[in-house]
Amino acid sequence: MMLARAAADFYWMGRYLERAEQMGRLLDHQLTRLVDTPARELAHSWRVLYDVVGLATPSVPHDADEAEAFLIADAYTLAGTLVEDETQPISIVSCWGQARDNAKQLRPWLPVQVWTSLNQGFLWIHETDLPAAWAAGPPSLVREAIRRLRLIGGVARSTMARDDAWRFMELGRHVERLQHQTALLESWDRFGPLSGSSTSVWWADLLRICSAHELYCRVRSMVVRRGSVLAFLIRNPELPRSLRFAVRRIGELLADIDPGGARHPLAPPHAMALHLAAAVEMNPHGDAGIWHGEEESGRGHSFADLLGDSLTLHNLTMAAYVDYPVETGLPS
Amino acid sequence: MPDSIATSLDERFGEQPRTCKAGSGAFAHYELDPGIYDEMFQRDGTPREACHRLADTLARASPDDLATLQEGVARRFLHEGITFTVLGRAEMSEHIIPIDCVPRVLSAEEWDHVDRGLRQRITALNLFLEDIYHEGRSLRDGVVPADLVLGCRQYRVQMRGLKVPHGAYVSVCGTDVVRTRDGFAVLEDNLRVPSGVSYMLACRAAMKQAYPRIYRAHGVREVAQYPRDLYSTLASLGSWRGAPRVAVLTPGRYNSAYYEHAFLAGEMGAVLVEGKDLVVHDSVLYVRTVAGLKRVDVVYRRIDDDFLDPVTFREDSVLGVPGLFEAYRAGNVVIANAPGTGVADDKAIYAFVPAIIRYFLDEEPILANVETHLCREPDGLAYTIENIEELVVKEVGGSGGYGMLVGSHASASEREEFIARLRADPANYISQPVLALSRAGCFVDGRLEPRHVDLRPFVLRGRDEIRIAPGGLCRVALRRGGLVVNSSQGGGCKDLWILRGDREGAR
Repeated sequence: MMLARAAADFYWMGRYLERAEQMGRLLDHQLTRLVDTPARELAHSWRVLYDVVGLATPSVPHDADEAEAFLIADAYTLAGTLVEDETQPISIVSCWGQARDNAKQLRPWLPVQVWTSLNQGFLWIHETDLPAAWAAGPPSLVREAIRRLRLIGGVARSTMARDDAWRFMELGRHVERLQHQTALLESWDRFGPLSGSSTSVWWADLLRICSAHELYCRVRSMVVRRGSVLAFLIRNPELPRSLRFAVRRIGELLADIDPGGARHPLAPPHAMALHLAAAVEMNPHGDAGIWHGEEESGRGHSFADLLGDSLTLHNLTMAAYVDYPVETGLPS
Repeated sequence: MPDSIATSLDERFGEQPRTCKAGSGAFAHYELDPGIYDEMFQRDGTPREACHRLADTLARASPDDLATLQEGVARRFLHEGITFTVLGRAEMSEHIIPIDCVPRVLSAEEWDHVDRGLRQRITALNLFLEDIYHEGRSLRDGVVPADLVLGCRQYRVQMRGLKVPHGAYVSVCGTDVVRTRDGFAVLEDNLRVPSGVSYMLACRAAMKQAYPRIYRAHGVREVAQYPRDLYSTLASLGSWRGAPRVAVLTPGRYNSAYYEHAFLAGEMGAVLVEGKDLVVHDSVLYVRTVAGLKRVDVVYRRIDDDFLDPVTFREDSVLGVPGLFEAYRAGNVVIANAPGTGVADDKAIYAFVPAIIRYFLDEEPILANVETHLCREPDGLAYTIENIEELVVKEVGGSGGYGMLVGSHASASEREEFIARLRADPANYISQPVLALSRAGCFVDGRLEPRHVDLRPFVLRGRDEIRIAPGGLCRVALRRGGLVVNSSQGGGCKDLWILRGDREGAR
């Protein structure tokens, strides 16, 4: 028996842990580039990073020299906001704290090993001295955070029963991943260079952020092009960070959660998940260039629809399993 | 946990016993006070029979060993989130309950005495509660003043005439027991929502890891069965077709004992709920699950009566469930402990518990009461005011170390202020002498020293059985000379080892 509120807590715990890791991946990429990337490019990529997570773009002086000085000095602030600012809901510390709050509500359902690894990680990042960590090497802190977040995932995978608690946690994780990856692709595409020698570097960076570069080179090509990369990150069924992977997993989880299983009428969130799967796999929006991996000039018109649908999926899930009216929940 | 240290200490346990004595060697700073009972050493400084194995082992440990062990135990508590929340501070924050790495040891005979006394007490108090909510014989016969009971804030008129299954008003009780030179005595009966049992279990788990061989060799009685006993007790309170659905009702994660609520729910396989998770429909209690509303059979509530049901009790309660009492009245759900039990652990009514035992059981109390002066009586008030420096003054409905004054520790102005409060509302206060609580060996500030302790055993009363976990929460006043053991007031805890009779003390 899964308490409705606990299901919501598992769902949100999955979302926050995923969100923290996503933030870590973005920052890892950005902080690694501090060493040798020209100021203008750095400024641009900070802008993209902030755009992906829905924050206002930091303002940068137009003069190249000033911009460089500003960016090097201010990278600490920019990163600090996203790592340790507890007033910033998308910072790693905030997400970790929220996940811990959820986990705290879930102690009766959560294996003690999962709680302990999550709590130890929280205590670690909460007590980390950011200036000292920065001095030791800017990416080292986020890499350690990512390592600890993955450890939590691994402990959960090896200790949790595959029941509704697990399903809701995984559902949250994949809904978050779908929304984040969609936002990432959309921002990357919108800010990306239209042409020129830097194009392939730009898209290769996206593959690296998504841990997809090796797989892409192996199954696609060493030639990195916008359309091909987007198609790969949208439709590859084996890549954990592809949109298709996320919507498929969401569909499977909701089919298991759905009291009617795969029989019609499907529960509303389950039906929505199938709609999303069709959107990703079947290209209902007619954006052939992206969905089929061909070069063309149209830029990501479908991503907004996907984001809207994923939000609807979230709302339907909450309405069906958490916030339903008493009358509909009474035993027949 | 530093395994190497634990192993090293544990291995030394097998060595030839040494003679250890309070005041020498590792116990050089362990000063005995002839007026205070010491749990580890006899008056001549040699270890008590039940403690000499442990004392021998500690005598061989270096301060560094013990410090590392202590730190390992504390770290374990921190990482596992074994915390409590301190209320009333500007910023509510989680704290680890300080744990002392030296267990307290009681012999089988000592425990047997406490056990029998607790059984007697919970039996009498349940009979008393049934009586005051039905016939009221004890009130008519003057065993307890009727106005004291009927005027008590914890008396629930809604419970009058209501049949409580098997007369089990109090199913879970955490009685505070102290020891002085005169023996064991009950300081308080906690009959509403006693807490601390999770710390008892956490301390035990930590000690088993710290001293595996020593623990095994002592023949310590197990307490790990408590959650199963609690479930069995709750399940025995009704008749069900299958296994009853048990819910632990918590005020939420900001409650000071939230860790315990979650722990017990998890260990019992019960569902941990807040009021907002429950719905009453047609006098039946349901819990919201992802598969719709499911009936709840038993509520183990960890919230006070006042907040249980805004329809019946405090209407501003947001913690409870509207209609819960109606479902209870209809017999569709069991609530443990029953509403209205708080009247029997009121500090003024406490003074009459020996009389209650004699009246209902026709027996002499096995466990003594602490001398108590009722300020509602003119003599009691005058005595309290006159001797306030030697007394502890408590609010009759207070708990957790709040609302009390330790006369000897208070300033003159604090005493004056309290006297004014006494005069304004004398019926709200009682006074007791400052007790010379027994002391047990603790590792504090890098050395072994005695500290004052008390003991809270947990008693379960089901349909036809009383179960008592052979152990309890042993609270310790870690500050030198301090007497307040509450965790909210800077106290800590330690494990309590009850020895099995057959192996106890064997060298």
